[in-house]
Amino acid sequence: MDTVIDAHNVSKVYNKDTIPVYAVNNVHLHLERGEFTALVGPSGSGKTTLLNMIGGLDKPDEGNIYINGQDITQLSANALIDFRLRNIGFVFQSFNLIPVLTAKENVEFIMQLQKIKRKDRDARVNQLFKQIDMEEKLNERPSKLSGGQQQRVAVARALASKPQFILADEPTANLDTKSASNLLDIMARLNKEENITFLFSTHDQRVIDRARRVITLVDGRIVNDTSVVSTSHMEDKLHN
Amino acid sequence: MAWRNIWRNKTRSIVIMLSIAIGLFSGIAILALYAGMMNSRVRTVIDVEVGHLQIHHPEFKKDYKPEYTIHDGLKMLKSLTSMPEVKLAVPRSIATGMLSTPGGSSGVQINGIIPAQEYLVSKLRDKIIAGNIFSPAKRNQIIIGKKLADKLKLNIGSKLVLTFTDSSDEIVSGAFRVSAIYQSNNAPLDEVNVYITMKEINSMLKIGDEFHEIVLILKQDDYMDTFQSRLSKRFINSKIETWREISPETNLLVKTTDQYSYIIMVIVMLALAFGIINTMLMAILERTKEIGMMLALGTNRIRIFFLVLLETFMLTFVGTPVGILSSWAIISYFNKKGLDLSGMGNEMMNSFGFDSMIYPEFPVDKILNVFLIVFLTALFSCLFPALKALSLQPVEALRR
Repeated sequence: MDTVIDAHNVSKVYNKDTIPVYAVNNVHLHLERGEFTALVGPSGSGKTTLLNMIGGLDKPDEGNIYINGQDITQLSANALIDFRLRNIGFVFQSFNLIPVLTAKENVEFIMQLQKIKRKDRDARVNQLFKQIDMEEKLNERPSKLSGGQQQRVAVARALASKPQFILADEPTANLDTKSASNLLDIMARLNKEENITFLFSTHDQRVIDRARRVITLVDGRIVNDTSVVSTSHMEDKLHN
Repeated sequence: MAWRNIWRNKTRSIVIMLSIAIGLFSGIAILALYAGMMNSRVRTVIDVEVGHLQIHHPEFKKDYKPEYTIHDGLKMLKSLTSMPEVKLAVPRSIATGMLSTPGGSSGVQINGIIPAQEYLVSKLRDKIIAGNIFSPAKRNQIIIGKKLADKLKLNIGSKLVLTFTDSSDEIVSGAFRVSAIYQSNNAPLDEVNVYITMKEINSMLKIGDEFHEIVLILKQDDYMDTFQSRLSKRFINSKIETWREISPETNLLVKTTDQYSYIIMVIVMLALAFGIINTMLMAILERTKEIGMMLALGTNRIRIFFLVLLETFMLTFVGTPVGILSSWAIISYFNKKGLDLSGMGNEMMNSFGFDSMIYPEFPVDKILNVFLIVFLTALFSCLFPALKALSLQPVEALRR
């Protein structure tokens, strides 16, 4: 197996000078390519902080994080921006699409940053919109899309740069049951068919039920790390 | 994306664009008004007061001594009249002296003129507001300015005495009768300049056919400087001066007015800049989360900076053509019809040598500078909001 994320002794401390509060405390995390992992725990347990550090949005106070063997804690702010662009896909709880751009332009935006040629961008956009079943909504602005559709566009945007893995922070929190289920189907399919690694932070039982590995965080520490072998997953393994 | 961003809040953007258009209109209108006033003043100096060039004896203007007549004046006048660049060449004899009446006296410059020629060069006939021009049948007539007439309570037909020194330093005097009163756009000059015939002043000064001044009106303004240097080389015993040297205060006024106009414009744009800064800061504040998301996805900070820069420039430059076109249309209208400022005080305008009817001129030659001011305003306005956007940290921005 291929290691994608390798976090060693990672800690994040707030109020260092007064009463230190450990948002993340001495966490070790190892993720292989193709994993479909849920990071669970109560509010304030450090899920989002850990996800932000793995995504290079925040720096740990202690420890190192290796993405594909590269220690991202040693990168400068500008190098991190470029690293994120080429290696990490983000899906946020509140979708965070750019409202003045159409669905297609939102997805293209990342590829423009990567300086991908127009022809290649068009081909990739068409492929991604097919994968998220939204080919007919290419030219709609986010305000004309439902929450579920916006989140699917956000997934397409995260995939556009062909990242090493996708970090999704509470991706289903703002979605109704049907939309959430639909989104999870798409992500599970992408994981299965294209071997894309997903790491979710979530409270949502529907996400937890679909995950093949569940890591439980309490008070910034990993208290449980369980691999779940679902029936469908076992069937896949048997066929292979 | 920048273009779409500025239309997120249409009302706010339109208000700021209109402010820029109105600010620009004001700035250009001030430039146009000053240009019109200065052009009118320069034309008055050239066409009515001084001419393009004046020729004197090199020593004459130091003390206005009557003996300093132009060397070979008649020959020079004949030669000048035949030159293709010259439209008019008119002689004057000049003395400084005292004008006395039973009620008071005043120092004056007595201009001895050949009436028919003087009417062409200084438009003296057009400026007469009471009485009649010189009559060949009458002797010892004098034309005086309204300001002097008011000061000494002189009317048409009033008697007065002119006293001055002749070319032999003898004091001479003569009695004259007011035949006409004139009024120009320059009240201070009206108070000191009086006109009698050249024949009479030359006889009193005992200078025969000689004279002290030749006023030259050229066919084109552009000829002036090269023609001056040509004449200076040719008539080495005479001093040849342009209107700029004779009326340095007008020249200074023309030069400084442009600077004043730009200062006013910069102040107007500076005030507008704070409006633009406010708008852009609001826009950044409203989009903090979005900018955080863009940084998180891998948009580098230079790109964010240029996005804010571009939005500010678009916001600024959309108002620019509106301001320029509206000012062009309104200025063109008043350029044809004239702008009557007599309501501001005709006398006050005239006391500064300005006509109260102004013909504003659209400052085509200054439009590039106007653009430069607008560009610098936009640049100045975008810096603070752009730096604010650059200082955002993606994690903190995404939390908002």
